[in-house]
Amino acid sequence: MSYTGKIAATTAYLPKQKNLWQRFWSRSNEKVGYLFILPAFLHLLLFLLIPLVFSLYLSFTNWRGPNPQSALFIGLENYEFLFGDRRFWEAMRNTAYYTLLYVPGSMIVSLLIALVMNQKLKGVYLFRTLFFMPVISSWVAVSIIWITLLDPQVGILNYVLRQIGIAPVNWLGDPSTAMIAIVIIAIWKSVGFQMVIWLAGLQAIPEELHEAAAIDGANRTQTFFRITLPLLAPTTFFLAITGVIGSFQVFSPIYVITGGGPRGSTDVVVYHIYTRAFEAYDMGYAASQAWILFAVIFAATLIQVWYRRRQGESGLF
Amino acid sequence: MFRIKHLMKAALISSLALVPLGVFAQDTVSLTVVGVTVPPEEIGTPLDLAYQALVSSFQEANPNVSINVVEQPPEFETQIMVDLAAGTAPDVWRAGQALLPELIEGDYILDVRQCLDITPDLTMDRFIPSILAIHQPEGPDGPVYGVPNGFTPMVIYYNPEVFASAGVEVPTSDWTVEDFLNTAQLLTLDSQGRNATDPDFDPNSIEQYGVRVRKFFVLENLPWVWTFGGNVISEDGSTVDGYLNSPETIEAITFLRDLVLEYHVAPPPNALDQMIQERAFTSVFLDGQVAMFPRGQWELVGLQNQDNYDPGRVAVVGYPVGANDATIAFEDGWVINSAVASDPAKLAAACSFIDFATSPVFQDSKAVTGLEISANQAVADQASEVSQWPEIQAVFVEEANDALPDPNTRFTFFAIIEPRLDLMMENILAGADVTEEVNLAVEEIERELSRQ
Repeated sequence: MSYTGKIAATTAYLPKQKNLWQRFWSRSNEKVGYLFILPAFLHLLLFLLIPLVFSLYLSFTNWRGPNPQSALFIGLENYEFLFGDRRFWEAMRNTAYYTLLYVPGSMIVSLLIALVMNQKLKGVYLFRTLFFMPVISSWVAVSIIWITLLDPQVGILNYVLRQIGIAPVNWLGDPSTAMIAIVIIAIWKSVGFQMVIWLAGLQAIPEELHEAAAIDGANRTQTFFRITLPLLAPTTFFLAITGVIGSFQVFSPIYVITGGGPRGSTDVVVYHIYTRAFEAYDMGYAASQAWILFAVIFAATLIQVWYRRRQGESGLF
Repeated sequence: MFRIKHLMKAALISSLALVPLGVFAQDTVSLTVVGVTVPPEEIGTPLDLAYQALVSSFQEANPNVSINVVEQPPEFETQIMVDLAAGTAPDVWRAGQALLPELIEGDYILDVRQCLDITPDLTMDRFIPSILAIHQPEGPDGPVYGVPNGFTPMVIYYNPEVFASAGVEVPTSDWTVEDFLNTAQLLTLDSQGRNATDPDFDPNSIEQYGVRVRKFFVLENLPWVWTFGGNVISEDGSTVDGYLNSPETIEAITFLRDLVLEYHVAPPPNALDQMIQERAFTSVFLDGQVAMFPRGQWELVGLQNQDNYDPGRVAVVGYPVGANDATIAFEDGWVINSAVASDPAKLAAACSFIDFATSPVFQDSKAVTGLEISANQAVADQASEVSQWPEIQAVFVEEANDALPDPNTRFTFFAIIEPRLDLMMENILAGADVTEEVNLAVEEIERELSRQ
């Protein structure tokens, strides 16, 4: 047999070359794994990815009303219009104001509560449960209760103010206080969740570090600011990121309590998008607003990540 | 084997026996209807009973039609848009006027002239012309998208007891803007009982206001604009420039602002909020703390439900007469899904239903429920004979002649403009400069219109 004949005979007995799909599918372990994630993937595809892509497409159309087939592709016109839309940017400003008040406010309050709840106190589990209860309560129910609590005449908050000699405040009727009232409600509602995250962070700090600091003569304030807080940096970062993302998406309390008023002072972006889409049925334009909101949240998150990395490099984190 | 044969025979006989039932089922037309139910808290009310009577009497008269009553969800306007997009919308529904342009533009509702051959009794002359016009965007000879069910013009409610105790004549239908202002001033009292025409009147201790003014531009304030000879948007809907910022419109808006901030005859927004924290505004009105307010007929029921209700405390009159004698009308109508046209039997059933629903059989109930006026001319004319508020009903029917349609019924994009107008009005009533606010609104609305 010649040399070439030998090669031909050898290759004839080699297993047939499998294509990429066959090679992928032949790995039985992976096959099972992919079958496990298939339902979740289908769910994501149907209810997240397809709507996402569809909404991006919509943002380039002039779709109004119920029939998307009537929508015309208008390129970047919605985005061009949006950049000069004073009402939209006013809503963005209101959202930024809410975020500036809510994110640090909720983080500080929840950290203080977590520090107390981290002590070995009698009934601490009961208090942890109580603080967590607003988190699992319905926003609508909570909002209605808070409307009563903030009532200028019969609300308990104004009753307390009157007792200490301060004139009652029309919390929800005054443009200068309405957003503050919403922030107070949102902090009260979310403080339990943040407290749990802080608690997890606090309990991960080795006790030896605090003991060493105490031996070195550090007082409690110094220990908190030099040991506890720096070691909580990953928790702080997580809460700041999720807080900013969540606060840019605030909707329920605005929808139930103020309806964007008084005088547009609580007209936040998501509520603005909702009214545009589901009250004016201006779906195409509302979709472009939603994508700008996404871009803003994305940019805010990138800035936070960049800031954290920079702080990390300087040794603070 | 024997058993199997018998079983097969039995199955054959049973299936043959079902054939006539199948024929019967084919003859029965199922019609899905939304708009003949009430929310759970209103079950047993006269309106609920009227709807039940409508469905049962229609079923009785049309045994071949099976009405499938679907509950109306709270946010029905959004729901119907979703249902239309999904192809699951009902066959017939009661539509609020604001959605009409969207439904017409999308070709979702039927031109009911198609019903005229099927149900010759359903003639358009049974309806009040100004209300029917809402369903005829192309004029009296054009298509008729649905038929009107009921409506209400906006009027001024007043409390005659407050007028009597202040020694002020009750208003008549020909009162002017000056009469209105003078009346409001005489009815506004401070803690010392001095009215707003008194030089010593103290605006910081007002205990009784003459009138209520709110931000809702189309709902409550547009008739004032028309009274002053102004308007809000051009006839073809292409611009607000020269309309919203016309001298007449600005004069009307300034007048409304001055009622609150200059004459102190209407409570500022904060004071109004505080008045209604503990009880409904209707209760405040019945107690005489505010003597007049603009509203539609539906408010009669709200007033009647208050503990301090007394028929002697409620009367109505039209908006004052000025350059125009006009008010705004709000209407709801029966519309037929355009998809129904492909099924002749269903189309006939739908046409019969709207014929039935707009005939005296159902429309007579409107005078009893008191929520709105029948759009059926003959029924409306006789309403005061059966109404529990005959004098009030007569004023509403008279005002219907001066009623102009809500701009929302003509322009799909007005849903974007209206909240901007409300915001403008809210800022003005809080003290913002009228011309500046109006010009800002015009600029933003013009920008919106450029997209349409």
